[in-house]
Amino acid sequence: MPMQARMLKVLAGRALMIVGLASLVFQVARAQSQSNVTKTNVSAKSSMGAAVDNASKSSASDVAKTLQTAAEAVGLARWSGVGGQRLPEVDVINTMEIWGSGTTYGSGQSNKPGEAGPAFKTEYHAALGYNPPAMRVEMTRTGPGTAAPQHIFEMVRDSYAWDESEIGAGLVPGKGIATPAMTSANSRLLQLWTLPYGVIKAALAAGNKTKMSNENGVTVLTFPLSGQLSAVMVKATLDAKYEVAKVETRSDNPALADLNTETEYSDYADHGEIATDVLSPGHIVRKQAGHPVLDLHVKMLDANNPYLVFPVPPNVKNATAH
Amino acid sequence: MMPLFRFSRSFIMAGLLCLLPAAAFAQANGGPRMDHEDTLPPTPVGPTPMAPDGHPDLTGLWNGLADNLLGVPNQMHNVGIEVGPDSTRDIHSGLEIATWPLQNRKRQNNEQNERAATLLRRMGSNRPIYKPEYWQRVKDFDANSNEEDPSNNCMPAGVPRMGVPSYIAQTPTYLVFVYPGQGGLIATATSYRMIPTDGRKHTDIEQLDGTWNGESIGHWEGDTMVIDSIGFNSTSWFDQLGGYFHGENMHVIERLHRDGNTLTWTATVEDPDVLLEPWTTTPRVVLLNPDPKAILPESLPCSERDFAHVVTKEHH
Repeated sequence: MPMQARMLKVLAGRALMIVGLASLVFQVARAQSQSNVTKTNVSAKSSMGAAVDNASKSSASDVAKTLQTAAEAVGLARWSGVGGQRLPEVDVINTMEIWGSGTTYGSGQSNKPGEAGPAFKTEYHAALGYNPPAMRVEMTRTGPGTAAPQHIFEMVRDSYAWDESEIGAGLVPGKGIATPAMTSANSRLLQLWTLPYGVIKAALAAGNKTKMSNENGVTVLTFPLSGQLSAVMVKATLDAKYEVAKVETRSDNPALADLNTETEYSDYADHGEIATDVLSPGHIVRKQAGHPVLDLHVKMLDANNPYLVFPVPPNVKNATAH
Repeated sequence: MMPLFRFSRSFIMAGLLCLLPAAAFAQANGGPRMDHEDTLPPTPVGPTPMAPDGHPDLTGLWNGLADNLLGVPNQMHNVGIEVGPDSTRDIHSGLEIATWPLQNRKRQNNEQNERAATLLRRMGSNRPIYKPEYWQRVKDFDANSNEEDPSNNCMPAGVPRMGVPSYIAQTPTYLVFVYPGQGGLIATATSYRMIPTDGRKHTDIEQLDGTWNGESIGHWEGDTMVIDSIGFNSTSWFDQLGGYFHGENMHVIERLHRDGNTLTWTATVEDPDVLLEPWTTTPRVVLLNPDPKAILPESLPCSERDFAHVVTKEHH
C-alpha cells in the first residue's frame, strides 16, 4: 500500500475512533443534563409545593437561593465524594463546641431599672447539637460578690432543662447532681436556634413561612420557630457576605418576655484547631429583654461534629413526668 | 497550530481511553459506582437460596457494592445518613436534613472536599452513649485519630469494626468470613474468621486471651444468623470512626439476614465498663456480586507510609 494511502487509512481510523468517543461523551453529557433537569423540577416541586402560583414561586426561589448562599457562606451546605461523586450538598452540621471569654451579666439584678445587671468576667464553653437539639453551656464566672469563681453547667435537650454539678451529673449513681430547671428550657433552646447555624436550619425548616425583604440595602429573613418555640418570630439580618449579622427574636406572649432577644455576630472566621471550613463569629453580643447578657470573644470552635451526647438524667425525666 | 491541535487531541484521547477501561473494569467487578446520586441501600432481587438444613445460605461474595470495610459506596448510609434523590434523612432519628439540588452545588477543591468528608462521616445521630467520665477520651481519640487510631500502622480492625465480610462460606457446622485488606478509611491487612455453628458454648472468659476478633459462636434465630463474640483485647475501636474504644469485657452480637441478593448486617455492642447502654450500628446492606466468576483479588501489602508526612490534625 502506498505511503499516503496507508496514512489516510490510519487517519480515517483515528477519525472514526474520535467520532465514536465524541458520540459517547455527548450521550453521557445529554443523559446527565436530562437527569439534572428532572432533578430540578422534582426539587422545586418538593420544596415549594405544587399549588403555589408563579409569583410566589419566584419569591420562594429567591429565598431558597439566599438560604443556600448563607448556608455555604458559613460552611453548613457541603458535599463530598463520600459515597459517590454525584451526591448533592447537604447540611453537614450536627454537633460543635465553642470556647470563648468575655462578660456575662446577671439578669434582673440591676439596682437601676433599664440597666444591665452586674458584670462577670466569664470563661465560656458551649457544647451543642442539632440532632437532637441540645446544648450544654459551661461558664466559669468571677465578679461582684463572688469570693470564688462560680462554675455553672446549664443543660437543655428538647423540652428538658437541668443544671449539672459536673459534666454528665446524675447519669451514673453517686456522680454529681442534676437539678431540673424546666422553666429555663425555652430560653436555653433559643440560644441554640439563634446561633448562625440554628438560624439557617430553622429558616429552611420553616419552608414557605420564611420571608425575605430588603431593609436599607441589607437582606432580612423573617420566620417563625417551631415546636415548643412556635410562639417566637425570628428576624435575621445578613451581611454582604451572606453571614448572619444580627438575630432578633420576639414573642407576643408577655409571659415569654425572656424570649425577646437581640444577638449580633461579627468577625467570622474558621476558628478550628482542626480546619473545617466552618466559619463562626469571632464576636457575639446578646441582649435579653433589652438588657445585655453576653459579650463574648470566640477563641476556638470545634465544628467537626465532635462526640457530644446529651442523655437526660433519670431524675430530670421523672421530675417532668410528675 | 498543528502541534497544539495534536497535543490537545492526544491529551483528550488519552484521558478518554484511560477512563473507559476503568469504568468497564468497575462495572465487570461490581466495583464502586462513583456516579451515585444517592446512598440508598440496594433493593433485594431474587429468591433467598436455602441450605440443606433449611436455613438461608449466606455463602457468596458480598462485595457487589465494593469492599465492605470502607462501606464504599455506602459510607454515608453506614453512618446513618440516607441521601435520596430529593431528600436526606438521619436514619436513627428520622430527622430530615436540608438538601440542595445537585446541579447547584458549590465548587470545592480537593482540600475542601476532604474537610467536608470529615464532617459528613460524623454527622449521624447514632452514637454510643459512654459513661460521662469517658466523653472527653472519645473526643480526644477522634480529634487525634492520626496518632491514636489503632488501625493505623496496619493493625487489624477487629470485631465489629471490620464490618460486613466480603466473602462468606457456610457449612453445616461453621461459617468462614473473609475480609480483604485495604487502604483508605481504615488500612488493614486481610483477615478471616472461622465461626462454629455447632451449638457449642463459649469458653470461660477467664480462659480466653483477649484478641482483636474475640471468640465468636454462631446460631440461627429463625432466618437470622446471630454471632455472639466475647474475649477481646482492649486495643481496637468498635466503629469505623469516632474514637469508640472499648474494654476487655466487650460483648458483641452480630446479626446477618439474607434477603435475595442482599445481606443486612448489624452489630450490637455491650460494654457496661464504659458504655451507659448497649449500642447498635446502623444496619448495613451489601449486595451479592452478580458475576458468578468473581473472586477476591489479592490484597496489596499493608504498609504505613503517610504518617511521617502528616503535618496537621486533619483526618478522615
